[in-house]
Amino acid sequence: MDYFIDDSIMQKGRPATAGSKMLANFISPLDATVVTRLKTLANTEIHSKSGTDEFGASALTLEPSDNLPAAVEAVKNGTASIAICNDYTGSVRLAAAANGLSYIHPTYGTVSRFGLIPAASSMDQIGVVCNSLSDGFSALEAIAGANPKDGAMFPDERYSYQPGKSGIKIGVPAHAAKDPAVSEFVKNFDSVEFELKYFDVYSHVMLILCFAELCHNINRYDGIKFGHRAENFQGLDGLYVKSRTEAFGFSAKLAAIMGAFVLSGENYTLYYDKAMRIRRLIKESLDFGKYDAIILPAHSENDPLTRLAYTALPQLAGLPSVTVPFGGGISLIADVKRENTLFSAIKEAGL
Amino acid sequence: MGFTDIRRILTIFNIKKYENMSMLELPDGQRERIDSCAETLIAGFAALEAIDTDGTKPLVTVLDLHNILREDTAAKLFTRDEILSNAPEQYDGYFQVPGTLE
Repeated sequence: MDYFIDDSIMQKGRPATAGSKMLANFISPLDATVVTRLKTLANTEIHSKSGTDEFGASALTLEPSDNLPAAVEAVKNGTASIAICNDYTGSVRLAAAANGLSYIHPTYGTVSRFGLIPAASSMDQIGVVCNSLSDGFSALEAIAGANPKDGAMFPDERYSYQPGKSGIKIGVPAHAAKDPAVSEFVKNFDSVEFELKYFDVYSHVMLILCFAELCHNINRYDGIKFGHRAENFQGLDGLYVKSRTEAFGFSAKLAAIMGAFVLSGENYTLYYDKAMRIRRLIKESLDFGKYDAIILPAHSENDPLTRLAYTALPQLAGLPSVTVPFGGGISLIADVKRENTLFSAIKEAGL
Repeated sequence: MGFTDIRRILTIFNIKKYENMSMLELPDGQRERIDSCAETLIAGFAALEAIDTDGTKPLVTVLDLHNILREDTAAKLFTRDEILSNAPEQYDGYFQVPGTLE
């Protein structure tokens, strides 16, 4: 089987740029754990290509973008049947659905991130773009499982993904109930409408946390040990400033500046600390005793803030989700480590 | 100080201050673009103010897990040459950097 690995995931001896000029000449010294695991499979061909979405952060600028994520492009054009990438902003899954593909976002802490160039660490999670969800879950089964090189993981050594029981009950957030794709999808399911609390601030919480974490993670790029180093600088500070200014694109610069803003002494409590508290409220507001999976639209045509909001919940709460191109795109979200519930619902829908 | 006050301050948005903190020196066109983007973002963040978070602890990680500690055993992941292989400049087996004392 042919796999595509986004170049934010390291493959020994190959470029790993995360779409940034900062890492244009960076050659990975190691294989990420997911790569090591894929290489153990029989008849595996691994492809990669430098992307253009720097640190996957373009969605945070709230500016329109026509760029197709490299992982989606690879599966769409037939280079690979499976693509592996980190979709912490939700832009990959939206592009996947818009192009007739599916995306599986596994539970946070079930797939090792060792060898992934970090972006927003509390939300970074390697997932799978696929044509067929059966193939996608098989690939996920190959890469998932505890790894001592990633300290933020569940201890389970392996996971088995198979569709299980039918009769999945879908929770439909009231504000999404009239979405044509959502209402069409739930026709054949037992469903319950409920209020998805705090939805109005999902995007803002996401932005604050992503900026803070990205800012922290890209602070390591200073032109000293690796990455771009400017020429004709004055002094050590001059080297840092000129190297970073020359190499970072707009989204990385915005993240660095907004991250510095929300983490600064005068703003920390108002923004970063507040966002972390609301994140807890969001997680604790969900009640998977009343439904097996939550459905949300996953349309690319929404405005940037709405797009972020509709794709934020899995990352904010560490939950698994599956996005499929049904009616332009829907996402199903289940409780922690309940990927099989999602698999079951998709099979029950005949997809 | 509330959100409104902060927004007013940031409308002036001392972008140079955060630029300095971020070790960046933006060209003029880009500074205005980021300034404008920041203003929009910060105006949106005001929506958080309406949510009562008194008594709620910050959620630092979504995992309900304790620290996972490994045995403290030595392991050699890379050779010196491998570590230096991505260095912009190196000299005699070390990273080469500009002088730090003036």
